Amino acid sequence: MKAPRVQLMATCLADAFFDDVARATVEVLEHLGCEVSFPEDQTCCSQPAFNSGDWPAARSVARHCLRVFNDAAPVVVPSGSCARMVSHGALLLFEGEGETDRAGAAELAQRTWELGDFLVRGLGVARWPGRLGMRLAFHRSCHSRGTAYAEGALTLLRSIEGVEVVEIGEGEQCCGFGGTFSVAFPHISRGMGTLKIEQVLATAADALVSGDSSCLMHVAGLADRTGRPLRTLHLAQVLRDALRAASEASA
Amino acid sequence: MSRPEEPIDRFAAAQSESRRSAVRLGSKAGHEKRTEVLFRDYADPDSLRRLAGEIKQHTLDHLDLYLERAEARREANGAQVHFAADAEEACRTVLGILQSCGARRMVKTKSMATEEIELGAFLERHGIESLETDLGEFIVQLDADKPSHIVKPIMHKDRREVARTFEGHGLGAYDDTPEVITRRAREHLRRKYLEADAGITGANFVSAESGRLVLVTNEGNSRFCLAATRCHIAVVGIEKLVPRDRDLALFLNLLGRSATGQALSVYTEFIAGPRGAAQPDGPEEMHVIFLDAGRSEILAGDARQILRCIRCGACLNVCPVYRQASGHAYRGVYSGPVGAVLTPLLAGERFPEFADLPRASSLCGACNEVCPVDIPIPDLLLRLRDRGKRAGVKPAGASPSMKTFARLASRPAAWRRALRAGRLLGFIPGPLRPRALRVWESNHVLPPWRGGAFRAWMAERKRKQP
Amino acid sequence: MARRSVPRLDGGTETEATLSETRRLIFERLKAALGGLADKKPLPDYPADVAVSLGARVPGDPVARFCQSLEAVRGRAFTDPAALGAWLKEQGATRGYCDPALVSWLTTALGDGLTLESTLGRERIDDYQFGITRARGAVAETGSLILDDATTSRRLGALAPWIHIAVVSPERILPDVGSAIAALGDDPNVIFCTGPSKTADVEGILIEGVHGPGEQVALIHLFGAT
Repeated sequence: MKAPRVQLMATCLADAFFDDVARATVEVLEHLGCEVSFPEDQTCCSQPAFNSGDWPAARSVARHCLRVFNDAAPVVVPSGSCARMVSHGALLLFEGEGETDRAGAAELAQRTWELGDFLVRGLGVARWPGRLGMRLAFHRSCHSRGTAYAEGALTLLRSIEGVEVVEIGEGEQCCGFGGTFSVAFPHISRGMGTLKIEQVLATAADALVSGDSSCLMHVAGLADRTGRPLRTLHLAQVLRDALRAASEASA
Repeated sequence: MSRPEEPIDRFAAAQSESRRSAVRLGSKAGHEKRTEVLFRDYADPDSLRRLAGEIKQHTLDHLDLYLERAEARREANGAQVHFAADAEEACRTVLGILQSCGARRMVKTKSMATEEIELGAFLERHGIESLETDLGEFIVQLDADKPSHIVKPIMHKDRREVARTFEGHGLGAYDDTPEVITRRAREHLRRKYLEADAGITGANFVSAESGRLVLVTNEGNSRFCLAATRCHIAVVGIEKLVPRDRDLALFLNLLGRSATGQALSVYTEFIAGPRGAAQPDGPEEMHVIFLDAGRSEILAGDARQILRCIRCGACLNVCPVYRQASGHAYRGVYSGPVGAVLTPLLAGERFPEFADLPRASSLCGACNEVCPVDIPIPDLLLRLRDRGKRAGVKPAGASPSMKTFARLASRPAAWRRALRAGRLLGFIPGPLRPRALRVWESNHVLPPWRGGAFRAWMAERKRKQP
Repeated sequence: MARRSVPRLDGGTETEATLSETRRLIFERLKAALGGLADKKPLPDYPADVAVSLGARVPGDPVARFCQSLEAVRGRAFTDPAALGAWLKEQGATRGYCDPALVSWLTTALGDGLTLESTLGRERIDDYQFGITRARGAVAETGSLILDDATTSRRLGALAPWIHIAVVSPERILPDVGSAIAALGDDPNVIFCTGPSKTADVEGILIEGVHGPGEQVALIHLFGAT
């Protein structure tokens, strides 16, 4: 596929906390020749309200999202959970609603891509250039279940020269974020996060990598709070850093 | 905190470390066994799960036809068929049958349906001795406790607790060797089987084609209930039907592996009617009670896929929330992911009392990944959350209100202002911060606020490009 | 057959007519629930062997495979009655119940030192250290014995003693669970017995011999087709 024009859905978390992830995503896409546009009216995919069960509130946000990205260009988002909200959650959300909403949601769903999946299956990238001497523990975010997201990320990560990817023990176990779940069920969320941190530490990796800032924010935040800080990197940051190392080397 | 917490989170927090550990390790072992055996025996277990799910969904979509077919076959086989609209009617029907055949003592196998209707307690109140024979359920009955897992009822107990229970009930001096415990139960219960008049079971499946009930056990207790007594009563949820005998091969192969990592449980019984003409042992009469008790209502709703459930327990074993909270946290006969959907639904009008159960999930989807009938549990949990909100149930936890969020997220200018204003959060003293934020910070270090930074960078980048 | 009368909590009883009211109500509810359903799933078509495990797809001798599978679930297989007799004596199991149709053959074939009783007394159930009955067949894939009411002389004889010996004819060994289910036939009570009874209820520790036999034995012999 010739590198197209794409729209970036930065995610509300990147908007608030993780600007570097959004920046890295832009740099990675532009490196592949994509023209990246950023519709400034974007806010959120509506998942927090959807997961909370406030579907009327979620619909108002999701409709706004449909309006903002109402352009034929593919939408790329550095988050498996947001991508799943747009490609699956929104369809449930609008099930009993009018034809316009349902058609709009279905149309947006089929051209919205999680970042790693877009690179591998959308653009056909099989090898990532550059170099990074790091042992990386890869976290399979739960929203990658039933999708090609994790395989996309792993394909890219494993192909980087100098990178060693290790799987985390009991990898199918959720990290415990779950959005508002982490504040509604703080004890259980902490218990789950603690188990995840132990498994990550057991890999002796240099950093924990995921395609979802949400999981990383939870695991890193809990690790910091409990005195065992963990280095975390988003997939986009790893890809960008590998590129930088390559261009510095050639400079 | 001013508002109470979510009940399941509070339960998890109050649980002892040793209990949490027992539940976690038991669940983990069950999950690992299931995965190992399924992938050892089949090239593509996930395609089998999806196939089994389609067969079950088809059956549910045509349940009236299949139920009629099963009823006709059973009557042709010499069994009597009864229907029970609710728990009370089911209990009264069982009592009526026991009284009409002069039964004073009954022995029963593990059956979730009979636990739903609280049959044992009902019969005891009416003068019928009612004894659980599954080892775990027997111990639960002695302790007046409740099971914590649908397949492994005493997963929450250790051997010392069991030994104390046995000693307390005159089953020998304290000995916590599992082998001794099992032998004592064996000796005690075989006397009881032989003294009993009636055997009560559930059924794992009913084939609409042959009318056969399928009963699956490892201990041999259902065989004993039926070999030693003269009247068999089976209480069966109407959703247990499968279309044909040949479908049973698929379901039985999936059930054994999903539940306990076995290809087949030790005893798989295919029961068409009372004992054969020349067989001296076994029931002379057989009754099947098809139980509705909320199932037809669930069938009419948008979470009907939950009725596919074959009660394997695989979703419990893999669920990280179940592992933290344990079965008793779910306040019902069914726990874990299936319980979080089924309990509120079976509660009918009392749905609001259980509306917190579907919220106790991070929606990770591991349950659906292991479900032998491919139930989309996370989607069902989400639908139930919507239903709870519409029913006016107010969550007890620290979840922020979505009204403010929705207002901001549908007004871009307000959103951008909020991004810039978020910097001020750092200046708000702890006690005045929003509750959700305080809860978050009790477990996490919040990352630095960077609202507006990406947008400024992006605008600058666009300015520099042609 | 018992009469269908159900006691009411107020002391009266309900009649047949009221009972079929419930039936009518439930079917009405079902039809109401399903009537408007737009996307009813069709019954999927699938090959009969879809659930046959990988191990069973490899061609092989059914008797050998059955023995292997039985041993994998901790059962025991014998083809020689004399060897079985010796094993019973080793276990200290010298008195047992035996299907009357097999008694004269086995009294000789098992060898000396064993007492076979052709009747079973419920009041003396613990006196029988073993029970010998016929199986109508077996399943090679899983090591299961197929018992039914017509071929099992006494259900309790197969169930209550610590050791159960099922005599099965080698040509009645079916390849897999699916083919065994296809052959269920008319018997009202068919059981697949797959190894000794067991439980892992206490701390997940596996214990054999709960309510059913602690030893599941198969004697593979043409005499099983009696």
